[in-house]
Amino acid sequence: MKTERVRLIIVLAVFLLALLAMLWPTSDQTYKGLAKLFQRVRLGLDIKGGARLEYRVDVEPGVENPSQVVDDVWTVLRNRLDASGYTEATLRKSFRENQSFIVVEIPDVTDTTSAEKLLGSIGVMYFGQVLDESTSDPSTDPRLMDLAKIKKARWLPSRDGKMWYLVREEIMLVKDLKLVSPRIVTASPVPETRVGRFGYKVTFELASKDAEVFKRITQQLVVPESAIGTAAAKEKRLAIVLDDVVQFAGYVVSVIPDGKAEITGNFSLEEAKQLAAILRSGALPARLEKVSAGWVAPLLGSDIIKSSLVAGLIGLILVMIYMIVFYGIQGVVADIALIYNTILLLGVMAATRSILTLPGIAGIFFTIGTTVDGNIIIAERIKEELRTGKSVRAAITAGFDRSFITLFDANLTTIIAGLVLYYFGTGTVKGFAITLIIGVAGSFFVNMVLSRLLTDAFHNLIRVPKAAERRVEP
Amino acid sequence: MKKIDVVSKRLVWLSVAAFFIVLSLVFIFTKGFNLGVEFVGGSEILVRAEGNMVEQDLRQALVAISPDFSAARVTRVRSVGEPANVVKFSVTVSRTFEVEEKAKIVEQLESKLAQKGFKAEVVSFNETGGTAAEEIRRLTWRAILITLAAILAYITLRFNFVFGVGAIAALVHDVIVTLGFFSMFDYEINVPAVAALLTLIGYSLNNTIVVYDRVRENMKKFKGRDIPTLINDSINQVLTRTINTSLTTFIVVFVLLLFAGNTIKPFAFGLSVGVLVGTYSSIFVAVPLVMKWVKYR
Repeated sequence: MKTERVRLIIVLAVFLLALLAMLWPTSDQTYKGLAKLFQRVRLGLDIKGGARLEYRVDVEPGVENPSQVVDDVWTVLRNRLDASGYTEATLRKSFRENQSFIVVEIPDVTDTTSAEKLLGSIGVMYFGQVLDESTSDPSTDPRLMDLAKIKKARWLPSRDGKMWYLVREEIMLVKDLKLVSPRIVTASPVPETRVGRFGYKVTFELASKDAEVFKRITQQLVVPESAIGTAAAKEKRLAIVLDDVVQFAGYVVSVIPDGKAEITGNFSLEEAKQLAAILRSGALPARLEKVSAGWVAPLLGSDIIKSSLVAGLIGLILVMIYMIVFYGIQGVVADIALIYNTILLLGVMAATRSILTLPGIAGIFFTIGTTVDGNIIIAERIKEELRTGKSVRAAITAGFDRSFITLFDANLTTIIAGLVLYYFGTGTVKGFAITLIIGVAGSFFVNMVLSRLLTDAFHNLIRVPKAAERRVEP
Repeated sequence: MKKIDVVSKRLVWLSVAAFFIVLSLVFIFTKGFNLGVEFVGGSEILVRAEGNMVEQDLRQALVAISPDFSAARVTRVRSVGEPANVVKFSVTVSRTFEVEEKAKIVEQLESKLAQKGFKAEVVSFNETGGTAAEEIRRLTWRAILITLAAILAYITLRFNFVFGVGAIAALVHDVIVTLGFFSMFDYEINVPAVAALLTLIGYSLNNTIVVYDRVRENMKKFKGRDIPTLINDSINQVLTRTINTSLTTFIVVFVLLLFAGNTIKPFAFGLSVGVLVGTYSSIFVAVPLVMKWVKYR
């Protein structure tokens, strides 16, 4: 049959892709033998351990609510880790001798340098004044270095590293006129609407406590549009500096009284998105000082993991036996579907470089549950159809057709719940949601395509209930 | 299989569910939860040792000092630039200690380890915040409410509004009763336990939808038949499937509960209870509760 051949090709192709994703060579060849299958599945901190960094939070004296500052630092770091895909990293606050620390543990990162890079800038963001610029590295030019000394400013590189800007934290040398660690409430890319401009701009809004300072800064730096490009104007540019890198430098064309500003520069959508993200997540409200960097062992300990794995496998084998005893050939189909879907899930995880953690394993459990359940629903349905007196072929067709709607609704509801969890959750919850969504989608595919293929192939092995057991539809 | 009478005895079934909800709430509000260090925070002791000390040695010494440490998490930590023969261990435990207690523990621990022949010292003894508490706080009620609203909307669209209310009632039942059992049996609520609760929600929902689907199908097939009979038949038609699915899931999580390591036990416990409770609610709560308001469309 033609549809059967199509199904067979799809099933084999998907299986090979999953295997390919798992077996694609990696730089670290730590596994041998059968375990090689799993080498591309990244394991979480609770299973494998990872890099551990400890920072002291340097809260400025006189801050009204120091614990709020530590909370804010926590949130910023959490956002950064989530944004780089390390939702499984853990972050915790620690206190000793009246000082606050933040301990960051990042799974699947073996050296601390790359962990630090992942965490991104640990420095502070500020709005500064650009006094000059250079296209060659100022540190090789004594004249430019002298200029920095005279102007009480520093040469900082641009984001692409092709430009250097002479930046001063204090605006126009007015005492205390500086905006360090501004709290930015919102920042988003917006399409440019004005005539003669293209692409995107970025709008942002400062928290009210910073809006007043920002107003004074813009009063000092404002340059009428006609004067842009003149030598005097070139010394009055505003820079957004994060971690000693100039993220943006540009002119202030009008005084901004309410903290609601926009940055224009004919950005592409990607550039605008990036700048908005930096504004939103970049402002660390305090300086961080690295206290220690190192490596941490699995949170659960390898002995616990081993015994749990064995227990899980025993349970699984019992389920597979139960299915064969209760459903005969369709139980065998269910068992094959189960193994297939597990490989598929691991393959997708390997391909997307998702991190497998304990909650993720909970997601795999759930997947196993839905795959078996799908097969049970189909098998029961086929039995029902057989009881009405249909032929095996007809019962299979009717059984799968009816089960489709049941499984579609049941799985889609679960996926909806998973999507909401993924969107709103962080860390652990996100990791769980990922395996849940991939696994449930996979089990639907496996139930509808692989199970169908196998059931059709083995249709003559399906037991037909005796005539006496059949009932006639009322 | 013999038919069970779900519909006409529904007050009995619903009373059982209500009884367990009340019982759980009583436990939750009087006894409370045994919250893991991920939630409440606690203390972290860093122990520096030379030579071949392993996690097991440290755990034994700690438990000898105080039973507080029996559920402590002991992991190995290595800092950059330290000599190879130096190992550090981090011990986290979900309570905090007074200054004098700390000093005593440090002294006892160091002497106990010395007795065993290890050269070890306590480097620091800090208070530490939870990792999961903030995450869960960030998840907040908003996410939960949005999830419920999305589920309600989907079920309303595909089935009808009344069923959506029934499904959500069943979910709330499952979560409350499972949490109640956590409180009753004093199982620690840790990150794996939260994963179990999330899994349970998906599982129970799945189960409920399968029952609903059969009711929907029969409503189309036998238009005009009285609703109580129709619902009773529908539930009974999917009963074998429900029992088999629940049983297979239960086998896996129960074996896990029996043989898995201590940190995994709360996960296995949550799912073992959850599977039973979730199965009960999808048969005896989800439809019977809202039966009166079910109408042909």
